[in-house]
Amino acid sequence: MKRTMYLTLVIALVLAGFAASAVSAQDGDAPSVVVMTPWLAQPGTQLMVDAFTEYAAEKGWDVQVIDTAEDISALISRMEDVALQDVDAIVINVDPTQISAGLAAVAEAGIPVFGMDSGTDPLLVANVTSNGYAMAAETATYVVDRLNGEGSVVMFIFEPYPPVQKRGIIAEAIFNNTPDITIVDKITPSFDAGPLEGARNAMEAVLLANPDPGSIDAVWAAWDEPALGALQAIQAAGREEEGIVIVGIDATPQARDAISMGGSFEATVAQDFPGIARQVADLVEAYLGGEEIVQSTYYVPTKLITAANALDE
Amino acid sequence: MTTSPQATDDARSWRGGRVRWARLFRQFGTLIGFIVIVAFFSWQKPDTFMNVRNWVNITQQVSILGVVAATMTIVMVLNDFDLSVGTMASMVGIVAGTLLRDGYMLGVALGLGLLVGAGGGLLNGVLVSYIRISPFVATLGTLTMFNGLALYISGGTTIFGRAIPTALSDFGRGGIYLGIVDGQRITLPYLTIITLVVLIVVWIVLEQTVFGRRLYAIGGNMEAARLGGVRVRMLRLMAFVISGMGAAIAGLMLVSRLASANPTQGDGLMLRAIAAVFLGMTMSEEGEPHVLATMLGVLILGVLANGLTQMQIDTYIQQILTGGIIVLAVTLSSLSRR
Repeated sequence: MKRTMYLTLVIALVLAGFAASAVSAQDGDAPSVVVMTPWLAQPGTQLMVDAFTEYAAEKGWDVQVIDTAEDISALISRMEDVALQDVDAIVINVDPTQISAGLAAVAEAGIPVFGMDSGTDPLLVANVTSNGYAMAAETATYVVDRLNGEGSVVMFIFEPYPPVQKRGIIAEAIFNNTPDITIVDKITPSFDAGPLEGARNAMEAVLLANPDPGSIDAVWAAWDEPALGALQAIQAAGREEEGIVIVGIDATPQARDAISMGGSFEATVAQDFPGIARQVADLVEAYLGGEEIVQSTYYVPTKLITAANALDE
Repeated sequence: MTTSPQATDDARSWRGGRVRWARLFRQFGTLIGFIVIVAFFSWQKPDTFMNVRNWVNITQQVSILGVVAATMTIVMVLNDFDLSVGTMASMVGIVAGTLLRDGYMLGVALGLGLLVGAGGGLLNGVLVSYIRISPFVATLGTLTMFNGLALYISGGTTIFGRAIPTALSDFGRGGIYLGIVDGQRITLPYLTIITLVVLIVVWIVLEQTVFGRRLYAIGGNMEAARLGGVRVRMLRLMAFVISGMGAAIAGLMLVSRLASANPTQGDGLMLRAIAAVFLGMTMSEEGEPHVLATMLGVLILGVLANGLTQMQIDTYIQQILTGGIIVLAVTLSSLSRR
């Protein structure tokens, strides 16, 4: 008897407390926007969500952030729940092909959905992201320019994952279009011990196969981890003085740190996460203001990161 | 001084009544807690929570967890654990997804997926029952193996798009049309129906068969059961095979609901399934798991997630609250049993 009373009382009190805070947080007229993602623990997602929340506060919106801790099935469930709510817009950061059931439920409820570095899908009003082709072009042309259009390049690629695969295609086209650039090797690093270790081992093998100083002029990596692995291999082989140029993509904190040291790892590309968030917030505002959104994908310019700006945020 | 026999009887029956009530509340405390939670959300969200559409929604949302928790109950009746169910569900999804991508027929892919589940369960059963490794260690090992296999087979990538036949993804979204309630089209989701079937089968197996009674006997006292002629090793093995198949069914349901197969998409199921069984165990006087009580645990988890989202409560707070309620229920139940 006592136990039941305690249980009932505690649950009721706790819930009532949250009800009070939830009710007080809701403002009658302000548009309410729900940000939904399974990836809030990822640094990029966190940056975008924080920035979006900030812009939304400036615009006077109520924002709720729902994170399902890498559980995509749970995200669909939460979308079904949100579909029953009186919300004005939903912003997602997740691959839309995996949550089509959730998108369908939300569409049926007539709630517009915006992608924040998500993907294209007919059920999204629009998606705002970075142009993967452009990012690859930026680092590949950096290599061509640094080598004055002449030299041999090792490429680290990864074809099974479409967003990374498209980077490799572009870089290869740029190198092939430069007559005096030779692609020595195209390597898909093994993931058994993580891409960094896999790239390091592969690069060690390439260095052994090309022992003459100056036989390798640059390493182009489709993302930062193999670039870091290649850097470690070059350092371990004692060939740092050859001036092999390394470039990556994504501007992870580890890559920024390595670039700031001023060694062989010279450049990477950063997505402008706050810029993506701002563009999404502006689109939501325009849409809620009755504007028609025709464009399905918006690209926010990326930024080349070198030793000069590696530690800027 | 003597007490009249009449007075003693009255006192006894009065005390007996109190004990009976206490027992009743001890047994149904969690159920009452559930009713309180439901009443609370109904009060807070009168329009959107307490309606047929939302409840149908909730049953679909908990359907996959429900299957894993139901078959996990069988293992936990034996005082064993199966930690590998989550990664098993992911791996089976990847196996079926890969077969579908390579052009195998839907029936073949699903059938082989179930077989993989049974095989994984068999491995767990052999390790625990015949090689006598503790279930915690054995299934922790296979948890890691299944995770690695899922990543290896898929190359770490998600299988989606045209690789998954529309028949399968439509199944995960569809259901049997029931009628129009309050102007809303109501369908009984196919995923809910699967869970109901699994639930009924597990209930019959555990509560209505000799097999089930023997499982409870083993869980009560393994040595006594063995001396009583129960084939303990065989039954433990079978419990793990059933758990593996439950995980496999859940993995296939996930592929259908997500219209994709990702090497980690089922991993979160294990902890929630165990939590649901524990919540259910608070309703049993002997602290034994029973599958209907497990379903109440599953529903509590599902209703909390649904209601708290509707109330727009931050997800981090939701987790704190859900975990707190589990700890509270189990604490009160164990205190009252002392």
